[in-house]
Amino acid sequence: MKLEAKAFLLVVVVAAFMFLGSYFTMVVPLSDPTLNDPGKDAKPYTALELQGRQTYISEGCVYCHTQQVRSLLEETQRYGMGEEETFKRFGIRALIQAPPSQPGEYVFDKPHLLGTRRTGPDLGRVGGKYDNTWHLNHLRDPRSTSPGSIMPSYTWLFTKAGQPTPDAIALVAYLQKLGSNIKWREEGVAQYKMLHPELQQAPPVVAQTAKEVAP
Amino acid sequence: MEQHVDKSARWFLYTAITFFLVTILIGLIMAIKFVAPEFLGGIAALGVGRIRVIHTNGVLFGWLLAADMGLCFYIVPRLAGVKLWSEKLGLATLGVWVVVLLGAVVTLAAGDTQAREYLELNVWLDILVTIAWVMFGLNIFMTIARRRHANMYASLWYIMGTLLWTAILWIVANLPVYSGVNDANVNWWFGHNAVGLIFTPVGLAIAYYFIPKSTGNPLYSHKLSLIGFWTIAFLYIWNGAHHIIFGPIPVWLQTVAILFSISLLIPVWTAVTNFYGTLRGKWASGNYVVKFFIAGTTFYLLTCFQGPMHSLRTVNMIVSKTDWIVGHAHMAVFGAFTFFAIGGIYFALPKILKTDLFSAKLAEWHFWLSFVGFLGFAISLWIGGFVQGLQWMDPTIAFLDTVKAMFPYYMVRMFSAILMVTAQVIFAYNIFKTVRGASARVQPAVA
Repeated sequence: MKLEAKAFLLVVVVAAFMFLGSYFTMVVPLSDPTLNDPGKDAKPYTALELQGRQTYISEGCVYCHTQQVRSLLEETQRYGMGEEETFKRFGIRALIQAPPSQPGEYVFDKPHLLGTRRTGPDLGRVGGKYDNTWHLNHLRDPRSTSPGSIMPSYTWLFTKAGQPTPDAIALVAYLQKLGSNIKWREEGVAQYKMLHPELQQAPPVVAQTAKEVAP
Repeated sequence: MEQHVDKSARWFLYTAITFFLVTILIGLIMAIKFVAPEFLGGIAALGVGRIRVIHTNGVLFGWLLAADMGLCFYIVPRLAGVKLWSEKLGLATLGVWVVVLLGAVVTLAAGDTQAREYLELNVWLDILVTIAWVMFGLNIFMTIARRRHANMYASLWYIMGTLLWTAILWIVANLPVYSGVNDANVNWWFGHNAVGLIFTPVGLAIAYYFIPKSTGNPLYSHKLSLIGFWTIAFLYIWNGAHHIIFGPIPVWLQTVAILFSISLLIPVWTAVTNFYGTLRGKWASGNYVVKFFIAGTTFYLLTCFQGPMHSLRTVNMIVSKTDWIVGHAHMAVFGAFTFFAIGGIYFALPKILKTDLFSAKLAEWHFWLSFVGFLGFAISLWIGGFVQGLQWMDPTIAFLDTVKAMFPYYMVRMFSAILMVTAQVIFAYNIFKTVRGASARVQPAVA
């Protein structure tokens, strides 16, 4: 009997091949403790943040926004803090890069929302970048805060009078949480100050060296 | 010669074509929303994040997998030389499948989703899909077990592989035990292989059957089809992580995925060599069925050249997360496997109905509008996506400006999508008239 005649053998070998590849690419990472270590600063979601995460899931935000800063220099700059933001928050003018996303930041994510497509920008470090009012205005009418945006208006998250529903408030709470599982802003500024000792002798000095980086 | 009933095959194909029309239309609505964000705005169920899921799941499960299942019900009994094991079970499978599809539209429109790409359906629908797949697999395996000829043709191995791969992928990926980056890794273990180990092998099974049938040429090489099958079986499963290159997963995992991605050129080039070899001499003389297989084979070659190239880190950093990938994905699912399924339907349905196709001319129109429409769709997204990827590499360009720069490409994509939808309306009309004509013809004999 030729090999092509053995249906049962085919099924067994096919399953064995599948097991082999799946074991190395799936089971081995699953048993890697470093991928499940939240680190010192990661905190589980609050009830409100979880409710907002559910809204994020239901509205399919994940299909246009990723939540992963790739390990590329250009991305750590694009999604980092620009001069305006560092001045507003820390009183110095500097470019603080956003660190690439790390496995520990995601340990409380079930399901994951890494995303694959950026019709809009990455949201992995968006928490704290804008205030709540900005987010609510942006959700209700994206073009009021971001002219030229092609994001749809999420009018159903607001009352007829334009007041945010509980879902909208929860969604904003979730967005503000994104990226806060590591203290990248504080640590980035501290590191910057360490490299620039003149900044430690207070009143904030306006550094002119850094080029403004767009959000 | 066995008298085939083909009732399951027929009704699966009718269902598939119906869902094709609906879900490709939703794709067009999305394309319009990319140039006019407030089009059909203010309705939660028509939000772009919700209809996107209906489009992808609808096209994959409602159209392509249903069409592939219908064509399996046609191919397997003929290659086995026996009747389908159970037409009743086949129709019952379709019943469960339709419940899944309608349930999917309702739940996804309501925002009831599990959020993992291509695994969005809720747990009840997941269970129904599993039940339907077991019913389908049992029917096919029992038919093969009762076959007349010991040796099996290439299409049968590919179909048996598909049955097994789909079941394992679906069940393992849907287990509710993963979280964090492992969940992403499992998601892409499934997502990559939903194309690689479900739509690819069953699509190749269809091409291996219908290309020799529609051209009258013998298969170019039996040995190549063997090499292709076993390399698919061994190589595809290692590739999931190439969707998360530069992402928060271990670097060794990314590198393994890249190495195996490049090796995928082997099964692809063996299959394409085999198809082109079988198609030789028929490029100019072939009818619409042959045209769909020539174009489908070519798109299969191109999309599977893009895939390994995307996995290279230097290319990946530019094209990943851009619309280039959307063009690439559509070339696999629409350009290659949908073209194969359409070619199979144009060949099989008239045979099932013992009649001629209503209009060969409309079928030619269907081909050319699909072909030109798809080229416009894909090329605009490739250029636009590449440009946007390069712009992202310059942090001084605001993200919003990179969105605005996509407008002309999104316009071309929208008009191309109109051509693609028009083509499928012609397809459905042609099939409808063929079925009507056939039933009108047999009615006097019945009465």
